[in-house]
Amino acid sequence: MKYAIAVGLLLALVAPAVVHSDSILAIAIYGFMAASLAVSFNLIFGFTGQLSMFHAASFGVSAYVVTILVTTFKWNFWLAIIPALVVVMILSLIVGTICFRFKLKEFYFAVVTMAFSEVLRLITLNWNSVTNGSLGITVVDKPSIWTPSGSFAISSGVSWYYLTLALLVIVYIICHRILASWIGRCLAAIRLNDQLGETLGIDVFKYKLLSFAIGSVLAGLVGAFYGFYSGFVEPHYFSIPLGLDIIAMVLLGGVNSLIGPVIGALVLTALPHVIELSAELRIALYGSILIFVILVMPKGIVGLLTSRKHAA
Amino acid sequence: MLLDIQNLTKRFGGLTAVSNVSFGVERGEIVGIFGPNGSGKTTTLSLIAGILKPTSGAIVWKDRDISTLTPFEVAQQGLVKTFQNPQLFPELTVAQHMRIACHLHVKRALGIGRLRTLFSGMPAELDRTLEHKIGQMLELCRLSSQRNDEAGALSYGGEKMLGVAMGMVCDPELLLLDEPASGLGHDEITNLDAVLRDLKSHGVTLCIIDHKVGFLGRLADRSIALHHGAVIATGKTEDVLANEAVVAAYLGKKHA
Ligand SMILES: Nc1ncnc2c1ncn2[C@@H]1O[C@H](COP(=O)(O)OP(=O)(O)OP(=O)(O)O)[C@@H](O)[C@H]1O
Ligand SMILES: [Mg+2]
Repeated sequence: MKYAIAVGLLLALVAPAVVHSDSILAIAIYGFMAASLAVSFNLIFGFTGQLSMFHAASFGVSAYVVTILVTTFKWNFWLAIIPALVVVMILSLIVGTICFRFKLKEFYFAVVTMAFSEVLRLITLNWNSVTNGSLGITVVDKPSIWTPSGSFAISSGVSWYYLTLALLVIVYIICHRILASWIGRCLAAIRLNDQLGETLGIDVFKYKLLSFAIGSVLAGLVGAFYGFYSGFVEPHYFSIPLGLDIIAMVLLGGVNSLIGPVIGALVLTALPHVIELSAELRIALYGSILIFVILVMPKGIVGLLTSRKHAA
Repeated sequence: MLLDIQNLTKRFGGLTAVSNVSFGVERGEIVGIFGPNGSGKTTTLSLIAGILKPTSGAIVWKDRDISTLTPFEVAQQGLVKTFQNPQLFPELTVAQHMRIACHLHVKRALGIGRLRTLFSGMPAELDRTLEHKIGQMLELCRLSSQRNDEAGALSYGGEKMLGVAMGMVCDPELLLLDEPASGLGHDEITNLDAVLRDLKSHGVTLCIIDHKVGFLGRLADRSIALHHGAVIATGKTEDVLANEAVVAAYLGKKHA
């Protein structure tokens, strides 16, 4: 598996030298951002066992905060990321504390986090003076980086490609380090039998909250960049369908792995473009894939690949 | 006194599962708790372990009331409970179970320094210590050969021994065992007996529930008999076992 990931990363690094199509680059860029969302979501869902419907909200809040700071208050993009992530962290700590103090699990946790994310969507929708309501905000600025030869705006497809690939690698490595540490063991204990974990001395509340907050902040990190690539932020970012897309990516790729959600996200981002689909059909396709995966391959693509290997 | 239970009462709605129970546990003792089905044994240990909250009464551990603590805080205080029905982490191997159970050990050893392991991984020396400890416990509990098996594949007795092994690897000062012997075969009981004596010789204090009077009779220094949630006899184990009220409680149960 390690080899496959290394080869995949290598291919991703050299791909822009070979592929010159802008539309393929765009698909890859959206794919990398979706994959970062899916990986961070899976820290909460697959590895801690908490079905968060707050992920899209964390993504959206951060996208709005960064965009407003940059377009309205003329902040520097990189600087604006910090307060955006702080806001997401505070929100996730509040939502997480409420849910986990009341020991909300499974369905109840999903519904309550969904309600919180609806509240945030309604706020962005109605707070016209700041968020521009349902029209959203158009983002014309591009983040720039400083090089020895001067400031360089990240505007070309290729530069966004490498930026979002780096984002994915960072999110992946953070999740990987966490899961390989003692925290990962606590999260597994919580997912598999939290009562037993608790009697063995694990602070279930603290580690659930930790996983929820880290996952949410990472979603916020993706959100910070998203609007600057797509060119606009809108209340749709908070919507339930976006949350469901992330779940579909994770389930398709494989819940019990870190790389699974990456594969799922890339496949589901590319698919509607490979076979031309309207938005409605796309949702129908996602729904069917979800049903198919749950019934036929509960461990996703990665589960399928690894079990083949074991069988051989 | 290490642990002092004072007038502990637990009501579930109209049912009084534990009624005004008081007893103490001294360091280094093995204390037996027995009584017929539904007499409140598990409820008593769950109250001590913080899994249930008492309706009234106090649980004093080293001169401090711990009755409001959560289960993990109680475990951190050095009081660990095993379950009557084996509790496992499905999918995980025996060794992985033991690794999780080393949580408190790692926490004590590294404290906030655990954050550093996010970058550099676990210190090799601590890793070796843990592996050694896990190996020892599994050897003691005769689980070494199944070390890399999924815990779900163990026999019922094996699952129970894994529970005991996980409890022990937490390094508790007082280990609360809920019917460790039930469902075990004859050989397994002999082994359990040896394991518990070994623990005792290492200074671990034990509180053991059982309904197989014979097994506890050999092991416990002192016993408490419960019936309908109340203490009906306490004292040296052989005296408690010979107590009329105790005999009647068990016989009454049998004839019912
Ligand atoms: N969570 C609960 N809610 C309601 N009643 C309970 C609960 N737990 C236990 N009880 C009741 O409390 C009484 C004591 O139960 P407990 O499990 O402590 O008995 P026990 O001595 O451990 O019995 P056994 O030998 O069967 O394990 C029983 O009547 C039981 O039905
Ligand atoms: Mg019981």
